[in-house]
Amino acid sequence: MTDLDIKAIEQFLYREASLLDQPDLDAWMQLFTEDGTYWMPAMENQPDPLNHISHIYDDRVMMEIRRRNFVHPRAASKEPAIRCSHLLGNIQAQGNTADGDLIVTSNFHVILWYREEQRCYAGTCEHHLVTAPSGFLIRHKRVNLINPDAAHKSLIIYL
Amino acid sequence: MKNTISNEELAGLVEPARLHKRLYLDPDIFELEMERIWGQAWIFIGHESQVPATGDFFSTNITHKIPVVMIRDKEGQVHVLHNRCGHKGAKLVESRDGNVRGAFRCPYHGWSFRHDGTLLKIPNEKGYEGTGFDPSDSCNNMQPVAQVESYRGFVFATLSSTAPDLKTWLGGAVDCLDNLCDRAPEGEVEVAGGVLRYEHECNWKFILENLNDTMHPMVVHQSVVQAAEDYIASLPASAAKQRSEAEIIPPFGSSYEKFEDSGITGFPYGHHYDGGKTSIHADYTVLPAYHEAMVKAYGEERTREIYSFNTHNTLYYPSLTIKTAVQNIRVVRPIAVDRFVVETWSFRLKGAPEEMLQRTLLYSRLINSSAGMVGPDDLEVYRRAQEGLQSSASDWVEFHRQYGRDQQLPDRVIGGGTSDLDMRTQYKAWREYMTGEIAQ
Ligand code: FES
Ligand SMILES: [Fe+2]
Repeated sequence: MTDLDIKAIEQFLYREASLLDQPDLDAWMQLFTEDGTYWMPAMENQPDPLNHISHIYDDRVMMEIRRRNFVHPRAASKEPAIRCSHLLGNIQAQGNTADGDLIVTSNFHVILWYREEQRCYAGTCEHHLVTAPSGFLIRHKRVNLINPDAAHKSLIIYL
Repeated sequence: MKNTISNEELAGLVEPARLHKRLYLDPDIFELEMERIWGQAWIFIGHESQVPATGDFFSTNITHKIPVVMIRDKEGQVHVLHNRCGHKGAKLVESRDGNVRGAFRCPYHGWSFRHDGTLLKIPNEKGYEGTGFDPSDSCNNMQPVAQVESYRGFVFATLSSTAPDLKTWLGGAVDCLDNLCDRAPEGEVEVAGGVLRYEHECNWKFILENLNDTMHPMVVHQSVVQAAEDYIASLPASAAKQRSEAEIIPPFGSSYEKFEDSGITGFPYGHHYDGGKTSIHADYTVLPAYHEAMVKAYGEERTREIYSFNTHNTLYYPSLTIKTAVQNIRVVRPIAVDRFVVETWSFRLKGAPEEMLQRTLLYSRLINSSAGMVGPDDLEVYRRAQEGLQSSASDWVEFHRQYGRDQQLPDRVIGGGTSDLDMRTQYKAWREYMTGEIAQ
């Protein structure tokens, strides 16, 4: 992996984060492969998303349902809109999955503004990236909160 | 301070079809609720399957403050003990779960206690010689909670030594716990797949009121129902067919008529459920491999009978609510007048294919997660009520729907599915507990 490759990966993750911050979930979803998934486990080192409870485990269909719910005029919990700011760091390439996808880990801090309250989420992300003609695509994004097992308040955005 | 509210005043806060906003807002009332409802009722602690081996423990609070620990001893018996050292009161365990190897050891002066709470050893004990201190006096033990009983693995405890036995207290509502367990081919369930904990910034009673409030789903959950229905309908039929969400989410938008038909049943001590003949969970696909295992275990007729009792939410007032047809439960853990935590636990039906557990976990994740598609919209309306009720515009909250039409049977009250029978049932119990009418 060259410096140039790392730079390209970083730019891709920054772009993903900024789409979440804007938010532009339509464009954000387009960053995923057709079989792409988003996973936020509910325990540390959770081995799999189906046989243990998770906060979120969405494929593209669930992402679209969630997006439509977020912007629905009758979704009382999403009004007024929630704002967030992602900060990424420690971006590292970690080799490849068995399918040949790039494994990239990063640390994140997300500050979220909701109902007169500023909240903070932190943890690490693991992206599995596919190289497509148009650039990278996300096959899988895993969000490991530092406190996945805490009693959380409503979380109605993607981190 | 808390005894400044007389029983007369408390009784005046709950009328047959109205209650006073102080029930949600007044910290003194909350403290009294902890003492008189949570301190007298049977509170759900955990399930025996959470502590399968000797020394396994699960710790929680039985009221907003009182820490307890459920632990299995080497004879296999499950105890619920006060999580408090017999010496100077330090909590013995801090983790939510784990294993106590050999004996509890206090992190302060090193006193140790057996799994049943009895004092095992005091370091440097000779300092007590001739002081009149008696190490064999049971007051030095970790104290057991006044009464502990288990029903089909569900462990309840009460701080009251005079509370009726668990079976009496559960009354006719026990049918739902039975139905949950009977849905396992082996007739037993076990906790599986971990827990979700969800912080609610409002009074604990809002979630109990909401369980069988069937006038809210089509309003509160309209956005997600439309999002799911519209999008899944736009998918190619082959893709749409595979979406379990299509079975789980849209029924939240069921019509008033459908909810009315499901009925509500109330019991003494504040318990109630909606559904029975039908519920929003009634149309789930029956997995062929599961059906096969059920028929093998029970025979065709009994299997149909088990499926046909289909409830939505059952409340064992005040701490436990179960979904028999989904196999998950939610446990309410109050913290303050405007704060509580909900735990969602999922169950494996013993003898059923693993896909059943996966569907339960999918349900818990989609519906009950703090990042879910349904829970956050419910919490949103509780939170708005918590803030709106601060208003001086009115002191009262009403629950008149179908008032006067509830039908009293010997051991239960039945009424329409869109009635406020559930409210009348739980607030009758509230009044009885709070004013001492439930003799303890
Ligand atoms: S407080 Fe536990 S040994 Fe002293
Ligand atoms: Fe709801």
